[in-house]
Amino acid sequence: MSRRWLFVLALLIALLSCPPQWYPMPIRLKLTEWFGAAGFRGLPPSVEAMATEPEVFCPPDPEGWRDRQLIEDVDIAASAPCVADNPYTVATFVRGSNNVSQATLLKSGLAADAVEKGRDLDGDGDPDEIHIRLEVAELNGGSAVVPGPVTRYEIAPGIRPGLWVFAPKFVGMAVENFESNRARRSLRLPSPAIRIEQGDTVRITLENTHYMPHTLHLHGADHGFVDVSGEGNDGVPITSEMPVMPGDSRSYELSPRHAGTMFYHCHVQPHVHVMMGLQGLFIVEENRPDNWLQTMNIGAGLVRVPSRSLRESFDREYDLHYLDLDKELSERIQLHNDPRLITRSMHRDYDITDSAPDYFTLNGRSFPYTFRESLLVGEDDERIRLRVVNGGAKGIALHTHGHKFTATHRDGVALPEDTLAPQDVIWLATSQRVDLALELKNDGLHSYGPGIWPFHDHQYNGITSDGIGPGGNISAIVYAQYMDEAGWPQTRGVSFDRYFTEAFYRKEIPVWESYAPGLFSDTGHDLLMLLRVLGLALAGGIMAALGVGALIRRSRGRKLNHNQGQS
Amino acid sequence: MNPRALFAAGLMLLLPMKGSGQDGVDHSKHSAHQMTVDPAGVVMNQNHDTLPRDCTEISRDYEFTIHAGRKYAADFPGMIYGMSQHEVRVQPCSRITITFVNEDSVRHQWMVHGLPKYLYPAGMFHIEASGGHSKTGTFIVPGDDRSYLVHCDMAQHMEKGMRGQLVVGNGSGDLWGVAGVSDDFYRYSYLPWHTSLLAALVLVFAFLATLWLAKKW
Ligand SMILES: [Cu+2]
Ligand SMILES: [Cu+2]
Repeated sequence: MSRRWLFVLALLIALLSCPPQWYPMPIRLKLTEWFGAAGFRGLPPSVEAMATEPEVFCPPDPEGWRDRQLIEDVDIAASAPCVADNPYTVATFVRGSNNVSQATLLKSGLAADAVEKGRDLDGDGDPDEIHIRLEVAELNGGSAVVPGPVTRYEIAPGIRPGLWVFAPKFVGMAVENFESNRARRSLRLPSPAIRIEQGDTVRITLENTHYMPHTLHLHGADHGFVDVSGEGNDGVPITSEMPVMPGDSRSYELSPRHAGTMFYHCHVQPHVHVMMGLQGLFIVEENRPDNWLQTMNIGAGLVRVPSRSLRESFDREYDLHYLDLDKELSERIQLHNDPRLITRSMHRDYDITDSAPDYFTLNGRSFPYTFRESLLVGEDDERIRLRVVNGGAKGIALHTHGHKFTATHRDGVALPEDTLAPQDVIWLATSQRVDLALELKNDGLHSYGPGIWPFHDHQYNGITSDGIGPGGNISAIVYAQYMDEAGWPQTRGVSFDRYFTEAFYRKEIPVWESYAPGLFSDTGHDLLMLLRVLGLALAGGIMAALGVGALIRRSRGRKLNHNQGQS
Repeated sequence: MNPRALFAAGLMLLLPMKGSGQDGVDHSKHSAHQMTVDPAGVVMNQNHDTLPRDCTEISRDYEFTIHAGRKYAADFPGMIYGMSQHEVRVQPCSRITITFVNEDSVRHQWMVHGLPKYLYPAGMFHIEASGGHSKTGTFIVPGDDRSYLVHCDMAQHMEKGMRGQLVVGNGSGDLWGVAGVSDDFYRYSYLPWHTSLLAALVLVFAFLATLWLAKKW
């Protein structure tokens, strides 16, 4: 008898608990007909946004690396954005690590044989024998002793995907500080842009400091299939030579007859290795007298010592390296430490045919860090050369606000004069290069006048970081009068506080919180609804128990009857 | 837990406990270090004759020749780089001369952390040998019993085998993850995922068997 009452009680609880918005529609309509609408109950209040401590937008430059300066007789142009390359490293790349003073070499951080420059073979006043050394470094890798990624490198606040890069040969630690474990400033994404002169005798030695086999493939640059000694020289394991094993080195040779913007990358399991970051711009400059080139441009961006040929028709030159990253790939080096497990995970378990990119970088960073170092800063009426590569897996629809640029070269080859036309979106296929002429000429076509004009991928995933915008490869063309002393653009829109907060890219902060506090905040909870749901659960539990009990009793009863029937 | 705090906790596994990381000096600025760079490599913060504060004299002179390269990892599955000797044991207040022989074609380093910062900028002594070269350097250890981290700070070389320890006197306990000496702190299970099915099967069997036995008794 008490079981029946319990059932009735549970039914009552269920009926009372059931939220009116869950009643079947005919019942709701009938109730409305009888009683009208239910009384007003305010929606839950907005949750107050968490207090955030944004990072410093514009790190200080105590040693004056941004300034124009003369080092080793090399005139190094000023770099307007907050973060600039070490000018001593730049000067050493221009003169050669074998030709600078010990003091400059120490300040450059480079090894004595990082970039060796030899004889002037054609007698035109610049060295033509160039020996470049490249190492392979892992950023944000795993460890069996320390938690979290090691040799840390952030592409944006709190975003640390595992990366592999080709790196110039430095001396000393990979980190700038053992306690913080951050990668030293010059050890970064993207792999450096390399510049050589047409006709130079170039040797590039790959010193494989990584724990996996790699090679160097000179994509689009004139090089022999074999070198002088008959060894394979194309960097392709399936056709030209064995890969370079960990701890080993190998030299590649070229003396390119054709100038243009080319590309270099590893060719071992390229669908994985190239997409981990083993790729860089490879630029062959036209031969000119007394043409001392900045052999490497760390992190791409502004070329602080542009070539003679560039200076003939442009005021500045920027290298722009676009790369997208798939976090399902890049995280694999963080999940294991044993290279056998990593190799299996990356090259067999990972399936690129099921992949989609999550992070979109320009010169190794995503917004807002792009605003620290990848702004295109220029003055009125300047002509700016952009060398652009799309190293990512997806195409890029590169778009400029306030300007139309002209593509003059594609894949290192000049386009016919009569086909050149200004445009504001250009499509770059994977691994494609274009040379763009950007004119800050306020004529209503090439430029609409001074300002802070964004430029970005117009494919919408490219302007996010794992789906959070603004992120991705957004940067801006900034006229010098819009830059402040420290190198930050004087934007007049929303505050950047949220964007310089890790939690924003962890998807924990409402997107408009900074200028509409409370209006579009996260919502609080509905406690009455919680009570109703718990009531329903209680009633459901009671009824289920009663039901199961009844079933058991029935089957026992049957068994009993059966047994009685036998005896 | 925020990543910085986690990382700080991790450092405890790497560095000797007392006196480490108290001032967080950034030693990316080479000016603070005594060093020269030549094609064979670098020796940084060499010290032939300045005694640590807690020493009255040099107790003993040691010379070690340590080889580095891929072949020294051959006996350790899952390691790529190694050293001929991952542990160096010395007396307190002794003077140590290390000849570091690099048998690979890429750079390697023999770097000690946690030395007194008044004597060694950033608390480190560092030898770096270019591929195929060797470099020699000398330093003096303090008088207390401690174990110091020795490693190669090329990205991932410590993780992939080049981690060792310098034990002064009786040391202060082994550091984690020293090849041939101590275990990894984070160790993978090395079992396929379906081992969990086998474990579940054994659990069910044990449950049923216990029920059956309990009924019998
Ligand atoms: Cu590779
Ligand atoms: Cu090493």
